[in-house]
Amino acid sequence: MINLQPYESPGYFGLIIGLLLPIIIGLFYGKRLVIYETIFSLTFLVLTFGGKDWHQGLALIGYVLFELIVIFAYSKYRLKRNRTSVFIIAVLLAIAPLIVVKMTPLFTIKSSLIGFLGISYLTFKSVQMVMEMRDGAIKEFEPILFVRFLLFFPTISSGPIDRFRRFKTDYVNAPERDKYVTMIGKAVKYLFLGFLYKFILGYFFGKVLLPVLAHESLAQRAAFFHTGLSWPLIEYMYTYSMYLFFDFAGYSLFAIAISYLMGIESPLNFNQPFKSHNVKDFWNRWHMSLSFWFRDYVFMRLTFFLMKHKIFKNRIHVSQVAYLANFLIMGFWHGVTWYYILYGAFHAVAIIINDIWLRFKKKHQVPSNRWTKGLAIFITFNVVCFSFLIFSGFLNTLWFK
Amino acid sequence: MKMKKKLWNIFGPVLLAGLLVFIAFFVANQFTTVNKATEKRAAVSLSTNVYKGSIVKSQALKDGYVPFFGSSELSRMDPFHPSALAKKYHRNYQPFLLGNPGTQSLSHLIQMQGMKQQLKNKKVVFIISPQWFTKQGQSPQAYSLYNSPIGTTQWLLHAHDSQMTRYTAKRILAMNENSNSGAAHRALINLASGKKVTKTQLMQLNVEATMLNSEDKLFSSFVSGKREAKIDGNQNKLPKQDNFKMLTKSANQMAAKATDDNPFGISNNFFNHRLAKGNKLAKLQGSQSHFNYLQSPEYADFELVLAQFAKWNVDPIFVITPVNQKWMKYTGLSNDMYQKADQKIKYQLNSQGFNHVVDLSKDGGKKYFMEDTIHLGWNGWLAMDQKVSPFLQTKQNQPTYQIQDKFLSKEWQQAE
Repeated sequence: MINLQPYESPGYFGLIIGLLLPIIIGLFYGKRLVIYETIFSLTFLVLTFGGKDWHQGLALIGYVLFELIVIFAYSKYRLKRNRTSVFIIAVLLAIAPLIVVKMTPLFTIKSSLIGFLGISYLTFKSVQMVMEMRDGAIKEFEPILFVRFLLFFPTISSGPIDRFRRFKTDYVNAPERDKYVTMIGKAVKYLFLGFLYKFILGYFFGKVLLPVLAHESLAQRAAFFHTGLSWPLIEYMYTYSMYLFFDFAGYSLFAIAISYLMGIESPLNFNQPFKSHNVKDFWNRWHMSLSFWFRDYVFMRLTFFLMKHKIFKNRIHVSQVAYLANFLIMGFWHGVTWYYILYGAFHAVAIIINDIWLRFKKKHQVPSNRWTKGLAIFITFNVVCFSFLIFSGFLNTLWFK
Repeated sequence: MKMKKKLWNIFGPVLLAGLLVFIAFFVANQFTTVNKATEKRAAVSLSTNVYKGSIVKSQALKDGYVPFFGSSELSRMDPFHPSALAKKYHRNYQPFLLGNPGTQSLSHLIQMQGMKQQLKNKKVVFIISPQWFTKQGQSPQAYSLYNSPIGTTQWLLHAHDSQMTRYTAKRILAMNENSNSGAAHRALINLASGKKVTKTQLMQLNVEATMLNSEDKLFSSFVSGKREAKIDGNQNKLPKQDNFKMLTKSANQMAAKATDDNPFGISNNFFNHRLAKGNKLAKLQGSQSHFNYLQSPEYADFELVLAQFAKWNVDPIFVITPVNQKWMKYTGLSNDMYQKADQKIKYQLNSQGFNHVVDLSKDGGKKYFMEDTIHLGWNGWLAMDQKVSPFLQTKQNQPTYQIQDKFLSKEWQQAE
């Protein structure tokens, strides 16, 4: 049985474009070939979660059934009543499988039996259903459409994280021909940009430079009073940052391109993040679908909650606490290791300091010209790269292994 | 009409790109030779691309270069380095250096598959560092750094089931934990369990091999000339004649100057950059007393190389390197253990018919023999040259080997 990992090999691209042709031609003539698309999607799901990864396939099926039950039950309940405690239970249930999978490495070196590639991204999609039902934004539960949304295979493994209502609008209508041709144009551009990002730049930084720098940094463990702080480590930091961006942005471009070819405008994930002039700006440009998800479903909700119950007197403290919680949760979501959690805490602190600075700037006369703007970009870039060094887990290898 | 133009604007560039790729590969396949200047640069470049690739080294071997397999010592390019001596005195052989810090038996076994045809019935030099023979053996990190996809596919395309094949496949799988996809991985799994490589896998591997070869032809000629310039710059420091006495004299003079600021006879440069920083030196004192080179998977990996040499009727001369004696005392490395490891390696060689062994393991205390802690330099290079040069320059008897599978066994790997 073959097993194909998404967007990894020329063969995968050949196969996917080839099998997409009927869908593309259909959409070009204003028709969505629903049956063909279903077979096509199932084929790719089987290719990704079949073969040697068959146990992941089973886990995926189990996960989908579980989430269907949770969301269906909550939707029925919500028609009649709207208690906060039930809402919280529904959210906890929806994220329970993810929590189990993320906690498993703490107890055993084996990976969790109920885990599969992309579980964290599917969880984002499930939880938003519960939250939007609570808000009354989604009233009726449409199980088939939900499963399509959840298992939309171009974005199944690592996003971008779409929103159900947006997805539904795209999905039930085929785009106009003019619009669709523009989407095809973008798809081709994104595919080729993705090739440049992932297979040339990402490969160069990640596979050519990074191993050499890792090797050199590890040779200098004793440097600078045994902190391991050495030139190669600094080079490692920047190189890893470049690798992380080009690899992930490249992947995201592929996922978006394939979505576009299927007539679905999946949201963009990156918008020139290294041009950010402060950390807040950075989170509006980096892994956008994730940070917007967190903004809408964690940060905003927590802020409202804290304001409504008047837990803090000072508005500033409210946002600071919300930031801290928001980024710590994001850190935990990446994985329960000290470096992911520290990464979250680091960004929370950075964004809090950034806010203090912005308030100071409002009150006082601070010069603003192209040099200060350049300086802002420079500082932000370095802060971000340092956070990626934490995120990389390399310090864990350097210090503790 | 407008729609046609729109579509053309989208797909025209794609078609053009496809055409360009096709042309690039077509043109690449027309380069069947590597020019002499590239060979010269590549022979001393220690470039990883050359090491992993195939076309440059095989062409160089065809043109009379002799492969010198080794590891970190190859980069100690003082004026007495084998490449410098061969060049200065216009020897009838020129070394082609293959090895970097971290390359050991297993990575050598794989990379040499890329020059299989040219290695058959040839003489080679193989420098063994007892430091390879640690509890872990070949580190997966270093292996992936020097992993040769061309070598791996070549090996897979010609593998037949045997003890050696199964063991090799298992070892490669143990190195590549991360890249567990693709035809090569599946073929390795088959071979490891004694099954055949399937027809589909062979087909995929053949396609991969074609792509890799085109890539190799396109890119591996870009070799840095930095090290060639270094060797050339050192040429006028050597005496005019190829005379051991005169060479030793100038080696002593140069080494005396280069090692005068530390008590170990280590080159000043190495000492100041790598040892004298912070409290590194103090920390190293006595730190190697528990080192053990007697039990290691490297013994079996090394056996794989020997079996490969035997199969291709290669005639190798082995050089076993010493440790700087003063350094050995300082770090507490056991000389007794080191000599036992040396004996074990020699036993493995001699009992299978590999009789050309230059054992330098006891010479780490000789004056100006080591460039630094564990790497040959000045007189060390000359001592090696004394044995290696005649071996390469005169005709040798046809070797006969008796390869024994027992050297792959856990018992042998663990034997004291």
